[in-house]
Amino acid sequence: MSLGAGLANPWGALALVAVGVLLALHRWDRRRRVVVVASLYLWQRIPAAPLERRRRVRMDPLLAARLAAMLALVAAFVRPWIAAPARAVVAPASIVVLDVSASMQTREARGTRFDAARARAASLADAASETMLLAAGARPRVAMRWTADPMLVRRALETLAPLDVAADLDAAVALALGEAAARPGARVAVVTDEPRPASRLPDADLTRVDWMQVGRSDDNVGIAALGVDAPALHPLDDATATVEVRNWSHGARTVGLMARVGGRTWIERRVELPSRGTATVHLGHPPASGVLEVRLADGDAFAADDVARAWIPAHPPLDVVVVSDAAHESSVLAELGRAVRNARVASVSTSAWASLAPARDRIVIFDGVAPDAVSAVPALYVAPPPGRGPCAAIARVADAAVVDWDDAHPLVRGVGSLASLVVHAASALADVPWGVAVASAASAERAFPFLVAGELDGHRVACMAAGPTAPLATTDQLPLVVLTLATLGWLQDGDAAPLVVRTGEVVHAPGGESDDAALRIAGTPPVLVAERVGAFHAGDRLVLANLFDPHESDVGRDEPTDWPAAPSSSATPGARDAREIGGTLAGLAAALLALEWVMWLGRPA
Amino acid sequence: MTWTAAEAVARAAGICRRLTLVATGGAGERHGERRVPGRPQPSGIEVEALRPYVPGDDVRHVDWNAAGRLDALVTRRFTAEREVCFHLLIDASASMDVPAADGKLDAVRELVTALAWMGLASGDAVALTALGRASTPAIFRHRASAVRAAGWLATLAAAGPLDLGAALTAYARRHRGPGMCLVVSDCMAEPASIAAGLEALRRARHTVVLLHILGPSDVDPARALGGGVLQDVETGATHAIAFTPAVRARYDALLAEHLRDLEAAAARSGAVYVRLGSDEPLATMLIERLATARLVRRR
Repeated sequence: MSLGAGLANPWGALALVAVGVLLALHRWDRRRRVVVVASLYLWQRIPAAPLERRRRVRMDPLLAARLAAMLALVAAFVRPWIAAPARAVVAPASIVVLDVSASMQTREARGTRFDAARARAASLADAASETMLLAAGARPRVAMRWTADPMLVRRALETLAPLDVAADLDAAVALALGEAAARPGARVAVVTDEPRPASRLPDADLTRVDWMQVGRSDDNVGIAALGVDAPALHPLDDATATVEVRNWSHGARTVGLMARVGGRTWIERRVELPSRGTATVHLGHPPASGVLEVRLADGDAFAADDVARAWIPAHPPLDVVVVSDAAHESSVLAELGRAVRNARVASVSTSAWASLAPARDRIVIFDGVAPDAVSAVPALYVAPPPGRGPCAAIARVADAAVVDWDDAHPLVRGVGSLASLVVHAASALADVPWGVAVASAASAERAFPFLVAGELDGHRVACMAAGPTAPLATTDQLPLVVLTLATLGWLQDGDAAPLVVRTGEVVHAPGGESDDAALRIAGTPPVLVAERVGAFHAGDRLVLANLFDPHESDVGRDEPTDWPAAPSSSATPGARDAREIGGTLAGLAAALLALEWVMWLGRPA
Repeated sequence: MTWTAAEAVARAAGICRRLTLVATGGAGERHGERRVPGRPQPSGIEVEALRPYVPGDDVRHVDWNAAGRLDALVTRRFTAEREVCFHLLIDASASMDVPAADGKLDAVRELVTALAWMGLASGDAVALTALGRASTPAIFRHRASAVRAAGWLATLAAAGPLDLGAALTAYARRHRGPGMCLVVSDCMAEPASIAAGLEALRRARHTVVLLHILGPSDVDPARALGGGVLQDVETGATHAIAFTPAVRARYDALLAEHLRDLEAAAARSGAVYVRLGSDEPLATMLIERLATARLVRRR
């Protein structure tokens, strides 16, 4: 059987220049060499020969050994390989990375981008000896492990569909390259609508990948953002919504916009959009509370961003009971509650509260007191006494200031800076398993949570280390007054507020099981991620998922291009059967060098 | 290999135990062990001739038998026993050690040690001289001096230039014969100049032998040369040469011509010419080369 052969480093042949250098050095050495002889008596009768005229290199054993060693080194440097040609035609294994991001849903002239990508992936599987299929979504997923059966790959491809998420294509390609490294000769092919230059992977990695781009259409008008402004403790009529509509195509568009809330139509209108322009639609005076659903009627090529959902809270009048044993302090918080429009505020003692009939949507403020038994009601504990109640206060401290807070928590979102919040007396709280520290404070003695918020027995509960004091209408009291009102607003929103998330975004799950495969809940503590746009349920909690991703919505691409992988020794057909003989040649060169050294030592004086 | 005197003498003794130097002339007036026919003397061992008695003759040497037959007094005359002085003239110029691989100087030491041993074993005198050096010859007598003679050779180092003809002429002027001069050299000089030196020795009543030592590189210069600039070790003169086949052929022709000229010059000077190779074993030199030239014979 004849052998196939090749050079892994053909440019190494440039080292042959060194052979010329060696010959030139040899001739130069010959010319400058002085040989001491016993007598010139006979030699002087032979005409002197100008050595420079001598062209031919006279070969001697030392020069021959040097040339052989040099040629062996050059041969090792070009890394020749030999392989059996019968094996060289065996198709390589292939890892196909299929983009399942939202933009792959875009309709093109002949089906969607995903249809085209799936067809190319199937043809790659047909041509490969073995195939692994990776789905590149928000996280890479192995859709099919190594298999030599193209039909299995095709079935796996049929089960795949593009999601409403942005793809982390780089992570998928990195995973594929890692798998390919474990299987020499395997090729990596990426089928996506993203161009290869958009990848942030190193060029050395990208050149090992066959990158195939599909899709071109830029026909998309979508909802870029949907915001609801429902101020806490305000009536429903004060709520507003803002819709940002963006035209991602390179032509002016007019689209229909329809907003519905609580099953009732809020607005229906036409929106004019210039080329790649944005229009903002403000909605006021909602007809109802509940789920706000905004839809675009545009018939564009990409539908995932044509609908968005949000939540408009009902905000009934504030109903507060202040439980306190100190009449003066109780009046301060009661006075604060009465400042809220339409609020109902009652003040009772600890003993009287125990006999109070429970009421729906009522918030209980325990002002300096804590009942022994935890009450299943929305409650705010203000300066709870140490060792009692759910707040686990540990001590009373003097002169404390808020030093840190969680901007992302909905309780303090919009409140602004709490850096000027200073209190003269407070209850040092402790970390509790049912809630998180929204704000932290420090005194001369210790640092402690200033505001703890969480859910206890299915109801929102908050603990504050200190409450406002009289007189309320002073600048010093303002941050604490605002924080107290924000806490009451958060308590009033209650547990009914749905979770509004972006697709692909990982958030803490409220608990319970998902009713839809597009909403994945897993882990401890549980987290959820929505892979599609829509309204889902996680247990009793409503989850509203929207696609607000400009990169996915901007579906327009240049002319689709393929970036083939750069040829390399590992990508050579049949390379896993090829055997490099550079090491053998290097060993031969070393032996020849040793021989040359011995000959040099034994050369004539 | 380090050349040591004792080992050299041991080697020479092993080879030369049954050999002796043939002296075709050179016997002087000093009494020795070598019998010199044609020069009868009043006393001795071997009767050579008879002559009529004259007053003063030792009466113990009167041949009474002859007197009875001849009726006259006749005395015996005996063969003369004389010492021959072997002058071993050594070319110790720098060329004798170049190239070192040829080992010309070591070969000369071996040969001269053997010659000296044979001369001393015959009861003759041996004078060792490094040609061109200002020092006087080192003269040795009796076999026991062989090691000292070899020691002198061991200290001999090849150095400096040498005009062989002039050195021989100068030696002849200082050391008159009769004697037997054995000149040992590589003879890389004008044959005419060498002939002049040999002639001067002959005129000084010496019997002359020219022992020409040739190194392998002298015969085959390709062993050490690949081309380049040749430098004379004695004079420092240089000569660029490209060692091509044509040059090699030319060199071979010149060497053959040089050897012929040397042989002819020696013949004209009445000298015996013997060519020796430095790579030849000592036994070959003595038993084949010198014996063929009738310079060495069995005892």
